[in-house]
Amino acid sequence: MATEVRFTHKSLVESCKKGHSGSQYELFELYVDAMFNVSMRFLSSKEDAEDVVQDSFVDAFKSLKSFKYESSFGAWLKRIVINKSINHLRAKRITVVPMDDHEFHLTNDETLEVDAVDIKKVQLGISKLPKGYKQIINLYLIEGYDHVEIGEILGIATATSKSQYHRAKKKLVKIIKEL
Amino acid sequence: MDNFEKHIRNNAAEFDEHKADRTKMWAKISTELEKEEPKVISLWKSPMIRVAASFLLLLGIASFIGLSIFGGDEQMQYASKELMDIDMHYKNLVSYQVKLVQNNPNLTDDDKAEFLSFMDELDAEYEILRIEMRNNLDNGRVLEAIVANYKKRIELIENLLKQINDSKSQDEDYGYTL
Repeated sequence: MATEVRFTHKSLVESCKKGHSGSQYELFELYVDAMFNVSMRFLSSKEDAEDVVQDSFVDAFKSLKSFKYESSFGAWLKRIVINKSINHLRAKRITVVPMDDHEFHLTNDETLEVDAVDIKKVQLGISKLPKGYKQIINLYLIEGYDHVEIGEILGIATATSKSQYHRAKKKLVKIIKEL
Repeated sequence: MDNFEKHIRNNAAEFDEHKADRTKMWAKISTELEKEEPKVISLWKSPMIRVAASFLLLLGIASFIGLSIFGGDEQMQYASKELMDIDMHYKNLVSYQVKLVQNNPNLTDDDKAEFLSFMDELDAEYEILRIEMRNNLDNGRVLEAIVANYKKRIELIENLLKQINDSKSQDEDYGYTL
Protein backbone atom coordinates (compact mmCIF):
# COMPACT_ATOMS: atom_id res chain seq x y z
CA MET A 1 0.00 0.00 0.00
CA ALA A 2 1.46 3.34 -1.13
CA THR A 3 0.33 5.14 2.02
CA GLU A 4 2.53 2.99 4.28
CA VAL A 5 4.97 4.90 6.47
CA ARG A 6 7.96 3.49 4.64
CA PHE A 7 6.83 5.19 1.43
CA THR A 8 6.71 8.64 3.07
CA HIS A 9 8.12 11.26 0.65
CA LYS A 10 8.50 8.60 -2.02
CA SER A 11 8.17 11.02 -4.94
CA LEU A 12 10.84 13.28 -3.43
CA VAL A 13 13.13 10.32 -2.83
CA GLU A 14 12.66 9.09 -6.40
CA SER A 15 13.42 12.54 -7.72
CA CYS A 16 16.61 12.64 -5.59
CA LYS A 17 17.62 9.29 -7.02
CA LYS A 18 17.68 11.03 -10.41
CA GLY A 19 19.98 13.69 -8.93
CA HIS A 20 17.57 16.66 -8.81
CA SER A 21 19.20 19.14 -6.47
CA GLY A 22 15.90 20.92 -5.72
CA SER A 23 14.41 17.70 -4.36
CA GLN A 24 17.58 17.01 -2.42
CA TYR A 25 17.20 20.38 -0.73
CA GLU A 26 13.54 19.69 0.04
CA LEU A 27 14.40 16.40 1.72
CA PHE A 28 17.25 18.09 3.58
CA GLU A 29 14.85 20.77 4.88
CA LEU A 30 12.38 18.15 6.03
CA TYR A 31 14.87 16.09 8.01
CA VAL A 32 17.81 18.29 8.98
CA ASP A 33 16.50 19.46 12.36
CA ALA A 34 15.51 15.96 13.47
CA MET A 35 18.86 14.52 12.38
CA PHE A 36 20.78 17.35 14.01
CA ASN A 37 19.00 16.68 17.29
CA VAL A 38 19.71 12.94 17.05
CA SER A 39 23.40 13.62 16.57
CA MET A 40 23.49 16.30 19.30
CA ARG A 41 22.13 13.79 21.81
CA PHE A 42 25.13 11.57 21.15
CA LEU A 43 27.88 14.08 20.60
CA SER A 44 26.82 17.10 22.73
CA SER A 45 28.84 19.33 20.43
CA LYS A 46 27.26 21.59 17.81
CA GLU A 47 30.30 21.50 15.51
CA ASP A 48 30.68 17.72 15.67
CA ALA A 49 26.95 17.16 15.13
CA GLU A 50 26.98 19.49 12.11
CA ASP A 51 29.89 17.60 10.58
CA VAL A 52 28.25 14.24 11.16
CA VAL A 53 24.87 15.32 9.79
CA GLN A 54 26.42 16.94 6.69
CA ASP A 55 28.43 13.82 6.06
CA SER A 56 25.33 11.67 6.54
CA PHE A 57 23.27 13.63 4.01
CA VAL A 58 26.08 13.46 1.45
CA ASP A 59 26.40 9.70 1.95
CA ALA A 60 22.63 9.24 1.86
CA PHE A 61 22.19 11.17 -1.39
CA LYS A 62 25.14 9.40 -2.99
CA SER A 63 23.93 5.94 -2.04
CA LEU A 64 20.20 6.59 -2.43
CA LYS A 65 20.00 4.06 -5.26
CA SER A 66 20.52 1.32 -2.67
CA PHE A 67 17.50 2.55 -0.66
CA LYS A 68 14.65 0.11 -1.41
CA TYR A 69 11.91 1.30 0.99
CA GLU A 70 12.54 -1.49 3.49
CA SER A 71 12.08 1.28 6.07
CA SER A 72 11.05 4.91 5.74
CA PHE A 73 13.62 7.32 4.34
CA GLY A 74 13.73 9.04 7.73
CA ALA A 75 14.50 5.79 9.57
CA TRP A 76 17.19 4.92 7.00
CA LEU A 77 18.77 8.35 7.31
CA LYS A 78 18.57 8.27 11.11
CA ARG A 79 20.44 4.99 11.16
CA ILE A 80 23.21 6.55 9.05
CA VAL A 81 23.41 9.53 11.42
CA ILE A 82 23.52 7.30 14.50
CA ASN A 83 26.19 5.01 13.03
CA LYS A 84 28.32 7.98 12.11
CA SER A 85 27.81 9.58 15.53
CA ILE A 86 28.86 6.36 17.29
CA ASN A 87 31.90 6.06 15.00
CA HIS A 88 32.75 9.67 15.78
CA LEU A 89 32.69 8.91 19.52
CA ARG A 90 34.81 5.81 18.99
CA ALA A 91 37.34 7.77 16.93
CA LYS A 92 37.63 10.15 19.88
CA ARG A 93 38.02 7.14 22.18
CA ILE A 94 34.89 8.06 24.11
CA THR A 95 33.22 5.12 25.81
CA VAL A 96 30.16 4.00 23.88
CA VAL A 97 29.25 0.99 26.02
CA PRO A 98 30.36 0.71 29.67
CA MET A 99 32.88 -2.07 30.10
CA ASP A 100 31.83 -3.06 33.62
CA ASP A 101 30.49 -6.46 34.48
CA HIS A 102 27.18 -7.10 32.74
CA GLU A 103 26.74 -10.78 33.46
CA PHE A 104 24.13 -10.42 36.17
CA HIS A 105 21.04 -8.34 36.07
CA LEU A 106 17.40 -8.43 36.95
CA THR A 107 15.21 -8.20 33.89
CA ASN A 108 12.20 -7.27 35.97
CA ASP A 109 13.36 -4.13 37.64
CA GLU A 110 10.97 -2.40 39.93
CA THR A 111 8.40 -0.48 37.88
CA LEU A 112 8.59 3.24 38.26
CA GLU A 113 5.52 5.28 38.99
CA VAL A 114 6.86 8.53 37.68
CA ASP A 115 4.26 9.50 35.10
CA ALA A 116 4.43 13.15 35.70
CA VAL A 117 8.20 13.49 35.68
CA ASP A 118 9.23 16.68 33.95
CA ILE A 119 10.89 16.01 30.60
CA LYS A 120 13.37 18.80 31.36
CA LYS A 121 14.43 16.84 34.43
CA VAL A 122 14.88 13.73 32.31
CA GLN A 123 17.03 15.70 29.86
CA LEU A 124 19.16 17.00 32.72
CA GLY A 125 19.37 13.51 34.20
CA ILE A 126 20.55 12.02 30.91
CA SER A 127 23.22 14.69 30.60
CA LYS A 128 24.54 13.68 34.03
CA LEU A 129 24.76 9.96 33.21
CA PRO A 130 28.21 8.35 33.17
CA LYS A 131 29.88 7.76 29.80
CA GLY A 132 28.40 4.82 27.95
CA TYR A 133 25.04 4.84 29.75
CA LYS A 134 23.88 7.90 27.86
CA GLN A 135 24.06 6.23 24.44
CA ILE A 136 22.00 3.22 25.40
CA ILE A 137 19.33 5.37 27.09
CA ASN A 138 19.14 7.59 24.00
CA LEU A 139 18.86 4.63 21.65
CA TYR A 140 16.15 2.83 23.62
CA LEU A 141 14.06 5.54 25.22
CA ILE A 142 14.28 8.40 22.76
CA GLU A 143 15.16 6.90 19.37
CA GLY A 144 12.86 3.94 20.03
CA TYR A 145 15.12 1.08 18.96
CA ASP A 146 14.72 -2.40 20.45
CA HIS A 147 17.61 -4.33 22.00
CA VAL A 148 18.31 -6.36 18.85
CA GLU A 149 18.75 -3.16 16.86
CA ILE A 150 20.84 -1.57 19.62
CA GLY A 151 23.04 -4.66 19.65
CA GLU A 152 23.65 -4.17 15.92
CA ILE A 153 24.37 -0.46 16.26
CA LEU A 154 26.76 -0.78 19.20
CA GLY A 155 28.24 -4.12 18.16
CA ILE A 156 27.19 -5.88 21.37
CA ALA A 157 25.01 -8.89 22.18
CA THR A 158 21.27 -8.36 22.70
CA ALA A 159 21.60 -9.60 26.29
CA THR A 160 24.36 -7.05 26.93
CA SER A 161 22.17 -4.28 25.55
CA LYS A 162 19.35 -5.33 27.91
CA SER A 163 21.54 -5.51 30.97
CA GLN A 164 23.33 -2.23 30.26
CA TYR A 165 20.02 -0.52 29.59
CA HIS A 166 18.59 -1.68 32.94
CA ARG A 167 21.66 -0.42 34.76
CA ALA A 168 21.52 2.89 32.91
CA LYS A 169 17.82 3.35 33.60
CA LYS A 170 18.32 2.62 37.29
CA LYS A 171 21.07 5.21 37.43
CA LEU A 172 18.95 7.74 35.51
CA VAL A 173 16.01 7.34 37.89
CA LYS A 174 18.34 7.79 40.86
CA ILE A 175 19.75 10.99 39.38
CA ILE A 176 16.28 12.34 38.58
CA LYS A 177 15.06 11.64 42.13
CA GLU A 178 18.01 13.58 43.52
CA LEU A 179 17.40 16.62 41.31
CA MET B 1 7.70 -1.21 29.41
CA ASP B 2 6.95 0.71 32.61
CA ASN B 3 5.27 4.07 33.03
CA PHE B 4 8.55 5.92 33.10
CA GLU B 5 9.59 4.48 29.75
CA LYS B 6 6.16 5.04 28.20
CA HIS B 7 6.14 8.63 29.41
CA ILE B 8 9.52 9.37 27.80
CA ARG B 9 8.73 7.60 24.54
CA ASN B 10 5.41 9.44 24.26
CA ASN B 11 7.18 12.74 24.74
CA ALA B 12 10.29 11.96 22.69
CA ALA B 13 9.61 14.97 20.43
CA GLU B 14 10.30 17.27 23.39
CA PHE B 15 13.92 16.16 23.30
CA ASP B 16 14.36 17.91 19.94
CA GLU B 17 15.43 21.25 21.32
CA HIS B 18 18.12 22.31 18.83
CA LYS B 19 17.82 24.06 15.49
CA ALA B 20 20.28 23.27 12.72
CA ASP B 21 22.11 26.02 10.86
CA ARG B 22 20.52 25.09 7.53
CA THR B 23 22.27 27.58 5.26
CA LYS B 24 25.74 26.72 6.46
CA MET B 25 25.11 22.97 6.40
CA TRP B 26 23.47 22.91 2.97
CA ALA B 27 26.34 24.96 1.51
CA LYS B 28 28.76 22.21 2.57
CA ILE B 29 26.49 19.38 1.46
CA SER B 30 25.85 20.86 -1.99
CA THR B 31 29.58 21.49 -2.50
CA GLU B 32 30.25 17.83 -1.72
CA LEU B 33 27.46 16.66 -4.02
CA GLU B 34 28.70 18.82 -6.88
CA LYS B 35 32.14 17.23 -6.77
CA GLU B 36 32.23 14.96 -9.80
CA GLU B 37 33.00 11.33 -9.32
CA PRO B 38 36.18 10.36 -11.20
CA LYS B 39 35.15 9.14 -14.63
CA VAL B 40 36.23 5.70 -15.76
CA ILE B 41 37.35 5.83 -19.37
CA SER B 42 37.17 2.50 -21.05
CA LEU B 43 40.40 2.34 -23.07
CA TRP B 44 39.43 -0.94 -24.64
CA LYS B 45 36.82 0.86 -26.74
CA SER B 46 39.54 2.34 -28.97
CA PRO B 47 40.83 -0.18 -31.57
CA MET B 48 44.23 1.56 -31.71
CA ILE B 49 44.73 1.20 -27.96
CA ARG B 50 43.58 -2.40 -28.16
CA VAL B 51 46.26 -3.20 -30.76
CA ALA B 52 48.93 -1.30 -28.81
CA ALA B 53 48.04 -3.07 -25.57
CA SER B 54 48.13 -6.48 -27.24
CA PHE B 55 51.54 -5.66 -28.67
CA LEU B 56 52.86 -4.60 -25.26
CA LEU B 57 51.45 -7.75 -23.70
CA LEU B 58 53.17 -9.95 -26.26
CA LEU B 59 56.41 -8.03 -25.75
CA GLY B 60 56.13 -8.53 -22.00
CA ILE B 61 55.53 -12.26 -22.30
CA ALA B 62 58.45 -12.61 -24.73
CA SER B 63 60.76 -10.70 -22.37
CA PHE B 64 59.69 -12.82 -19.44
CA ILE B 65 60.33 -16.08 -21.29
CA GLY B 66 63.66 -14.76 -22.57
CA LEU B 67 64.79 -13.78 -19.07
CA SER B 68 63.70 -17.08 -17.60
CA ILE B 69 65.70 -19.05 -20.17
CA PHE B 70 68.81 -16.93 -20.58
CA GLY B 71 69.33 -14.75 -17.58
CA GLY B 72 67.07 -15.54 -14.70
CA ASP B 73 69.01 -18.29 -12.98
CA GLU B 74 70.45 -16.18 -10.22
CA GLN B 75 67.12 -14.65 -9.40
CA MET B 76 65.47 -18.03 -9.49
CA GLN B 77 67.58 -19.03 -6.54
CA TYR B 78 64.80 -18.10 -4.30
CA ALA B 79 66.13 -18.19 -0.82
CA SER B 80 65.25 -14.95 0.80
CA LYS B 81 65.59 -15.60 4.50
CA GLU B 82 63.22 -12.76 5.26
CA LEU B 83 60.48 -14.27 3.12
CA MET B 84 61.14 -17.77 4.42
CA ASP B 85 60.75 -16.58 8.02
CA ILE B 86 57.53 -14.71 7.30
CA ASP B 87 56.25 -17.62 5.28
CA MET B 88 56.89 -20.12 8.07
CA HIS B 89 55.40 -17.94 10.80
CA TYR B 90 52.14 -17.21 9.01
CA LYS B 91 51.78 -20.64 7.44
CA ASN B 92 51.79 -22.24 10.91
CA LEU B 93 49.40 -19.67 12.27
CA VAL B 94 46.95 -20.04 9.37
CA SER B 95 46.98 -23.83 9.28
CA TYR B 96 46.33 -23.99 13.03
CA GLN B 97 43.35 -21.65 12.77
CA VAL B 98 41.96 -23.37 9.67
CA LYS B 99 41.96 -26.63 11.65
CA LEU B 100 40.06 -24.94 14.47
CA VAL B 101 37.40 -23.85 11.99
CA GLN B 102 37.23 -27.24 10.26
CA ASN B 103 36.76 -29.05 13.55
CA ASN B 104 34.20 -26.64 14.91
CA PRO B 105 30.87 -28.43 15.43
CA ASN B 106 28.89 -25.15 15.43
CA LEU B 107 29.51 -24.52 11.74
CA THR B 108 27.47 -26.02 8.93
CA ASP B 109 29.18 -27.78 6.01
CA ASP B 110 28.08 -24.93 3.73
CA ASP B 111 29.72 -22.34 5.97
CA LYS B 112 32.91 -24.36 6.04
CA ALA B 113 32.88 -24.82 2.25
CA GLU B 114 32.32 -21.11 1.69
CA PHE B 115 35.11 -20.23 4.08
CA LEU B 116 37.54 -22.69 2.46
CA SER B 117 36.76 -21.38 -1.03
CA PHE B 118 37.63 -17.91 0.18
CA MET B 119 40.89 -19.23 1.61
CA ASP B 120 41.60 -20.87 -1.77
CA GLU B 121 41.21 -17.52 -3.49
CA LEU B 122 43.73 -16.01 -1.09
CA ASP B 123 46.03 -18.99 -1.70
CA ALA B 124 45.91 -18.31 -5.45
CA GLU B 125 46.71 -14.65 -4.85
CA TYR B 126 49.58 -15.66 -2.58
CA GLU B 127 51.09 -17.91 -5.29
CA ILE B 128 51.15 -14.97 -7.71
CA LEU B 129 52.87 -12.82 -5.10
CA ARG B 130 55.40 -15.54 -4.39
CA ILE B 131 56.33 -15.76 -8.08
CA GLU B 132 56.64 -12.00 -8.18
CA MET B 133 58.89 -12.15 -5.12
CA ARG B 134 61.13 -14.71 -6.75
CA ASN B 135 61.62 -12.38 -9.68
CA ASN B 136 62.40 -9.40 -7.55
CA LEU B 137 63.67 -10.14 -4.07
CA ASP B 138 64.18 -6.47 -3.23
CA ASN B 139 60.59 -5.57 -3.85
CA GLY B 140 59.37 -4.36 -0.46
CA ARG B 141 55.85 -3.75 -1.74
CA VAL B 142 55.45 -7.37 -2.81
CA LEU B 143 56.65 -8.46 0.61
CA GLU B 144 54.11 -6.16 2.23
CA ALA B 145 51.39 -7.60 -0.02
CA ILE B 146 52.35 -11.14 1.06
CA VAL B 147 52.08 -10.18 4.73
CA ALA B 148 48.75 -8.42 4.05
CA ASN B 149 47.52 -11.58 2.32
CA TYR B 150 48.31 -13.67 5.38
CA LYS B 151 46.83 -11.08 7.72
CA LYS B 152 43.61 -11.13 5.67
CA ARG B 153 43.39 -14.89 6.10
CA ILE B 154 43.92 -14.69 9.84
CA GLU B 155 41.38 -11.88 10.08
CA LEU B 156 38.83 -14.00 8.18
CA ILE B 157 39.37 -16.92 10.52
CA GLU B 158 39.20 -14.73 13.62
CA ASN B 159 35.96 -13.13 12.41
CA LEU B 160 34.46 -16.54 11.83
CA LEU B 161 35.52 -17.77 15.26
CA LYS B 162 34.20 -14.58 16.85
CA GLN B 163 30.84 -15.13 15.12
CA ILE B 164 30.69 -18.64 16.52
CA ASN B 165 31.52 -17.41 20.01
CA ASP B 166 29.04 -14.54 19.78
CA SER B 167 26.22 -16.83 18.67
CA LYS B 168 27.10 -19.16 21.53
CA SER B 169 27.03 -16.36 24.09
CA GLN B 170 23.71 -15.04 22.74
CA ASP B 171 22.20 -18.46 23.10
CA GLU B 172 23.23 -18.69 26.71
CA ASP B 173 20.53 -17.30 28.93
CA TYR B 174 22.50 -15.70 31.69
CA GLY B 175 20.22 -12.73 32.13
CA TYR B 176 18.42 -13.94 35.21
CA THR B 177 19.67 -14.34 38.72
CA LEU B 178 17.66 -15.68 41.54
